[in-house]
Amino acid sequence: MDILYAVLLLGGLAVVFAVLLVLFSVIFHVEEDPRIDGVAKLLPNVNCGACGKAGCHDLAEALVSGEVKKVSACRAGKKDKNFDPIIAYLKNTPGPDGKTIDVGM
Amino acid sequence: MPFIVSFLLAIISFTVIDNVILNRYFGICSFVGVSNKVKSAVGMGLAVTFVTIMAALVCWPIYNFILVPADMKYMETIVFILVIASLVQMVGFFIKKKSPSLYKSLGIYLPLITTNCAVLGVCSGNVGYDFGYAMANAIGTSLGFLLIIFVYACIRVRLEGANVPKAFKGVPIALIVAGLMAFIFASLNGMIDLGAWGVQ
Repeated sequence: MDILYAVLLLGGLAVVFAVLLVLFSVIFHVEEDPRIDGVAKLLPNVNCGACGKAGCHDLAEALVSGEVKKVSACRAGKKDKNFDPIIAYLKNTPGPDGKTIDVGM
Repeated sequence: MPFIVSFLLAIISFTVIDNVILNRYFGICSFVGVSNKVKSAVGMGLAVTFVTIMAALVCWPIYNFILVPADMKYMETIVFILVIASLVQMVGFFIKKKSPSLYKSLGIYLPLITTNCAVLGVCSGNVGYDFGYAMANAIGTSLGFLLIIFVYACIRVRLEGANVPKAFKGVPIALIVAGLMAFIFASLNGMIDLGAWGVQ
């Protein structure tokens, strides 16, 4: 019986904090360039960190902002599966400022 | 002894005399890890200060009004970790919205506060205290963390240019400095006798 109460109590608290976290993430939502998510989807998403960034989403941000100019910074990516689609995607998708980005191999 | 005087005395006691890093040995990992630049050390110290005070504010009522009546004091640690982790996330959301530059400069250290034992140490230590004393503990401890990590970072920046024997270069001499600082702060022991002020 004790263990049931313990699970219920911790579960209840977890639900409360989960709701609070969702509220916070909605209230303090930051508008991001939609292309960041698009590039992040095309990366291998293994979050290995071999590119020197803190995960694939961070590398996608760097690619879109122009900080990283070559998609081959990603060590885990394959040319036909990841790099070519990213280059094509960034070439064909204009950002909020109406410009497209040219990244190299 | 009026409340405000004993409150301030307790804060001073927790800040310098019973210091969180040098006397209680909490939060050593971030103390050594983040202290090689003054700017990141201060950023880390401020973030820890904020999270510690918020966590103590939330954990104390949860322990005293939920866990104690439910007779589940043994759940203390896991509940406190849950609270701290959620708080760090919320602070992250908040900083990302309100001050992107601070968010960038804190970087990976922000989520790492979750695993800073100084925060959990304050919450667990507050278990037997009344609310005022618990708050004094939270404020004093976090100010102590901020003070010591700032001083330590300043010393480490000077050490980079110092003529240190080859075997001691880098982290070894920094650890020796931490030991010497602990010696100095240990000499303050017993300066304020909180029991005699009737705080506890």
